[in-house]
Amino acid sequence: MPQLEVEGKAYEVDEDGFLQELDKWSRDFAQGYAAIEGIEGVLTEEHWKLIDYIRNYYTQFGIAPMIRKMCKDTGLSLKQIYELFPSGPAKGACKLAGLSKPTGCV
Amino acid sequence: MGYDASNPMKDRITDVGPRDYKEFLPPVIKRNFGKWLYHEILEPGVLVHVSAAGEKVYTVRVGGARLMSITHIREICDIADKHCDGYVRWTTRNNIEFMVDDEAKLKPLMEDLEKRKFAGGSLKFPRGGTGAGLTNIVHTQGWLHCHTAATDASGVVKAVMDELYDDFGRMRFPAHVRISLACCLNMCGAVHCSDIAILGVHRKPPMVDNEYLANMCEIPLAVAACPTGAIKPATVEGKKSVAVNDEKCMYCGNCFTMCPSMPLADEEGSGVAILVGGKLSNRISVPMFSKVVVPFLPNEPPRWPQTVEAIKKILYTYVEDAKKYERLGDWAARIGWERFFEKTGLPFTEHLIDDYRFAYTTWRTSTQFKF
Ligand code: HEM
Ligand code: HEM
Ligand code: SF4
Ligand code: SF4
Repeated sequence: MPQLEVEGKAYEVDEDGFLQELDKWSRDFAQGYAAIEGIEGVLTEEHWKLIDYIRNYYTQFGIAPMIRKMCKDTGLSLKQIYELFPSGPAKGACKLAGLSKPTGCV
Repeated sequence: MGYDASNPMKDRITDVGPRDYKEFLPPVIKRNFGKWLYHEILEPGVLVHVSAAGEKVYTVRVGGARLMSITHIREICDIADKHCDGYVRWTTRNNIEFMVDDEAKLKPLMEDLEKRKFAGGSLKFPRGGTGAGLTNIVHTQGWLHCHTAATDASGVVKAVMDELYDDFGRMRFPAHVRISLACCLNMCGAVHCSDIAILGVHRKPPMVDNEYLANMCEIPLAVAACPTGAIKPATVEGKKSVAVNDEKCMYCGNCFTMCPSMPLADEEGSGVAILVGGKLSNRISVPMFSKVVVPFLPNEPPRWPQTVEAIKKILYTYVEDAKKYERLGDWAARIGWERFFEKTGLPFTEHLIDDYRFAYTTWRTSTQFKF
């Protein structure tokens, strides 16, 4: 499996850059990865609000939240989510949050 | 400017949608838009439409392999430039249509198309696909591109069209015959509503990769993906995973779509089922779903001889026996499915009896039947 070095630490990722060892996630991973996902500079409070929300939801339910749920619970519109994470909620936010790769007919 | 990876949002264009189709209409189509009076099929693959203004447009339809190179598309463009002022269109069954506005331009176009062949000998632009005959096979990705395939798409389609080729250029059937293929029962395309459908199926339950499953999959999604409730969450050797009840599994592969750690494709287990009798139009009878008549045939690349044989048997029994305008489903419904199996010589096995949820309605609640 490919390794990705983020802030001096090596992580196992798949060919699309999704973390393969979910327990290795850290805030450093998210911050280090942000540039690759087209996010400039340090992650803002808004970024963390969404990342933390996704991680909490995943811990509680074992799945990523549906977009509608994500928007409703965080108060962010889909447009705002795309402004924060240009690749979108799945390829952008969930990837930084260290969730497994979205599946199905995407 | 070129794309700047360090500044991905700079100069980004988005949400512009497709080009307006009116930009690409041949002038004769544009002039007579919404004013057509009638049309005729002059010969297989050739149509003429006549407008209220008396203008005519001649259409030559040729088969396309759907999957094609840029080189081939350039050749199509060259033909369009040469004969059709640069205009060309694709049909909803991935045939290609060249249009001319003058009968004198028709023959040179047809002759040009006819003589073009690939190095292996196949016709590049076989004419046909109109009227009560055979047209292109709507199909999917297969082993070329999709991860959930139980059979190939392009390979089977080429084998079937080669064997039925003569009827692509003829119009001797009782009605249109639509053949479709999907390489798994996601059924991308039209297999559930075609006269004859080729469908990739599995016969073995998924293999669960307990080592990686929890890291690759959202377990509740895999559980909820199963139509028969065969999957439950489980802890295996200290790791979160799932357990599959093989007795309940009917190998649909939906769990693999959601969870990459549950693959089920298998060289012997996977193959082809054949369905018949579906239709989409409302002509006389209502639209119909296609029904399974052959539960399994093995994958036999590169030519799938048993699949091709079964399709020929079904198709030509229908062609001999059905009345004019009867689609395959209309015919089978009229003569009764017992007769369908008798006439085609296909064996009827327990696999064909519906056993999913409201299956009851597909059984016979009547004494009307033939011995
Ligand atoms: C597991 C689910 C699915 C996967 C992985 C999938 C994958 C794909 C891929 C990769 C392509 C692009 C092919 C290419 O560019 O070479 C494609 C095209 C297409 N898919 Fe899907 N698909 C799925 C489900 C569906 C479903 C459910 C439908 C319709 C009911 C559908 C309809 C289509 C159509 C119409 C095309 C365009 C075909 C063409 O351009 O010739 N897909 N699909
Ligand atoms: C007043 C306008 C039109 C009417 C009422 C009309 C009517 C019809 C009818 C009844 C069919 C036969 C359908 C069947 O047998 O299932 C048909 C087929 C067809 N029409 Fe038209 N049509 C019109 C205009 C056009 C135009 C402008 C075009 C494109 C230039 C066109 C292209 C076709 C094609 C490609 C077929 C399929 C022929 C085949 O596969 O056998 N039609 N049309
Ligand atoms: S029918 Fe199944 S295998 Fe074929 S392209 Fe669609 S999802 Fe993939
Ligand atoms: S293959 Fe289909 S029936 Fe079998 S366990 Fe997976 S989802 Fe359920």
